[in-house]
Parts: sequence; structure tokens; C-alpha cells
Amino acid sequence: MDIFTILFWVIAVALFIVSLIKNRQKTFDAMKKSKGMMKNMIGEIIGVIFLIGFILTMVPPESIKDFLGSSNAFISTIMSAIVGSITLIPAFVAFPLVGSLVDAGASVVPAVAFLTTLTMVGVVTFSLEKKEFGLKFAFVRNTLSFGFAVFIALFMGVVI
Amino acid sequence: MMAMDLIKRNKTVFGVAFLYLVLFVFSPEKAFASVNNSVYYLAEMFQVLPVIFLLTVVIEALVPKKTIMNSFGEGSGWRGKVYSLILGSISAGPVYAAFPVCKTLLGKGASITNIVIVLSSWAVIKVPMLANEVKFLGVEFMAARWVLTVGAILVMAQITSKVVKIKDLPKDERQDEERVVEIKKDYCVGCGICARMLPEYYEINEKKAKIIAEGVKNSDMDILLKSAEECPTKAIVVNG
Repeated sequence: MDIFTILFWVIAVALFIVSLIKNRQKTFDAMKKSKGMMKNMIGEIIGVIFLIGFILTMVPPESIKDFLGSSNAFISTIMSAIVGSITLIPAFVAFPLVGSLVDAGASVVPAVAFLTTLTMVGVVTFSLEKKEFGLKFAFVRNTLSFGFAVFIALFMGVVI
Repeated sequence: MMAMDLIKRNKTVFGVAFLYLVLFVFSPEKAFASVNNSVYYLAEMFQVLPVIFLLTVVIEALVPKKTIMNSFGEGSGWRGKVYSLILGSISAGPVYAAFPVCKTLLGKGASITNIVIVLSSWAVIKVPMLANEVKFLGVEFMAARWVLTVGAILVMAQITSKVVKIKDLPKDERQDEERVVEIKKDYCVGCGICARMLPEYYEINEKKAKIIAEGVKNSDMDILLKSAEECPTKAIVVNG
């Protein structure tokens, strides 16, 4: 567990104790409600996690090299953004990987497109987002995120 | 029929289980590799979900609806946007962990704009990730991407709130003071347990449970929650 997760734990537990002291009954009712909500999600989350594991096997993080290095900047940006949307790679894998590729001379634009869609667009978590917030919300948010990720990437190409 | 229902309600799980089954038959090595890859995320889930559970409980029980509406609601303006950005950035965990938190905030009157900000910043601009980015790509790279991303998130949130309205969200997310009890018609099998337990609240009509009471007495909250628990298909939802 990293320091931030630990801190998150400490704060949540502390607030929970405050809540218990302040209003026991309300806290128990809220626990029932949250339990119901989480129970609805947990199966889906586990499904999504195994789907991520599968995708990581089929499209390993290293395969991003093929897209980042492509000669056509436009195509490689779009492709990188798509790969980033589909896969979910932990940050501590993604940053060193992209860092080494950029150091080796890969263009910044597709690299940023990849890094940004990696976290902002979730194809695998889409079904869960749809279930929790409705199709329209999930669709609009993810489509906009994809568009803006490409936009951020192009802008970065100018700035950096 | 029951089995079909179960599969229908857990499409993702059954779909993925089927995928793994096929994979185990045709390519056991790939299947084992996939399971191995999933373990990291499973561990992450078990580290984060209990905190998320506590957090939603705290928001629900401790924070008055008014406070949420003032800080994250329609009229919260720039302050609400900044709060949302901070909440998303400092929170730990993958984006799906943000879903329950956002749902709880929505239920307490947060606006769509701010929910998009929380969700997106939760996903992209994590503080520990920024440190990692500096280490491997440099301060300038990180700072430029951060500024652009925050700008993009604010614009996206504005656009989303124009396109998506509260009524587009699934029904149980709408803040609705009177309707604290709801029956999910698709799940109800008309067994009648609820109607036998609380005839003053439920009735079976055309093989589906129906709520007949106008409003809920506070003193009845406990027994209503109990009726929701007793429901074999969990078709009764109690919000309070």
C-alpha cells in the first residue's frame, strides 16, 4: 500500500468513528444503504478486473511501442489514443515505459494521447459506468474524454 | 427462468467467465497469464473498496444534504468546481472506486458538472501519479499536461452538464424526497413477502409488488429496510 492509500484509510476510518459517535442510528442506516450499492457493483467490478487481466495478456504494455514509433504522426496518435482507451496499465508501469520511449526519440504527441486516454477513457469500465450513471452520461463523458485527450496531445506537441 | 435472470443481471461476470473458460481450453498459458495480471488489480480493489465503503457511509450519515448542495450543487459555481477537483485529485484508487462516491454525492444534490469533474480528476490527475510522471518525463512535461488536463476537464464538465440532465441518470440516483421506497419492476417476481410483512406499504398488483403508502413515517424506516432485505430478488430499494 502506498502512502496515499494509507492516508486515505486513516482519514476514512477517523471520519467513520466520528460519524458513529455523532449519530449511531444514521450511520447504521447509511451502512445498509452503502452495502446495497456496493453489493450491486462488486460482481461487475470483479468481472471488469479479469477482463483487464485478459486484455493485458493480449495487448501487453510493450505493444504501445509499435504505435508510438509509427511514421505517420496522425495515425500513430489516434492508434495510441485507442490503445490507451482499451488498456488499463498501472501508472508505475505506464510512465517509465512512455518515458523510455520518449527518451529514445518517440514523438511526444502520441505518447501524451496514450497516457491521457489510459486513465480518462475506460472502455472496460464502460458497462459499469453505464449501469451506475446511465448510457447517455457514460457515452458523453467517454467520448468527450477521448476527443480532449487527442486535443491535449496535439497541444503538448506544440508546447514541449 | 431464474438462471436466465441471474445471467442477465450479471452479464459482465458471466461473459468474462465464459471468455476464460474458452481461453483455458485453447490456450492455458494465456489464461494463466491473464489470471496473474488480474491479481494486481484484485489486490488493489481489496485495498481501496473498504475505504470507499466507509467514505460513502460518512458522506451519507455525517454530511447534511445542504452542505453537499452548497459545495457541489448547481449553484456552487467556481468553489464547487475547485472542491470537486481537489476531492478527485487527493482520493486514492482506480476510477471505478469513484463511482459509489459520486453516486452518494449525486443523491445528496451534487450537480452533473461537478460529478464529471470528480470522476475525471479521480481518473487522471492523481497526486501520486504526478510524482511518478515527474520522475520519468520531467517537471515541464507533467506541468504542461496537468494544466491542459484540468482545462479540458472543466470544459468537458460544462459540455456534459448541457447534454446530460439529472433525468437521464438511472432512477435511483435522482434526489427525490418523497419516494424513499422504490420497487424495481424488472427484478420483482411477485412473491408477496413484502405485502405480507407490511400490508400498509405494499400490495401485489398484477403479479408485481406496488407501493400503496403515500410517504414514509420515519419510525417505519427500520422495518422498511428489513422488508428490502427480505425481498428475495432485492427488488425493493429504500433510500433515506
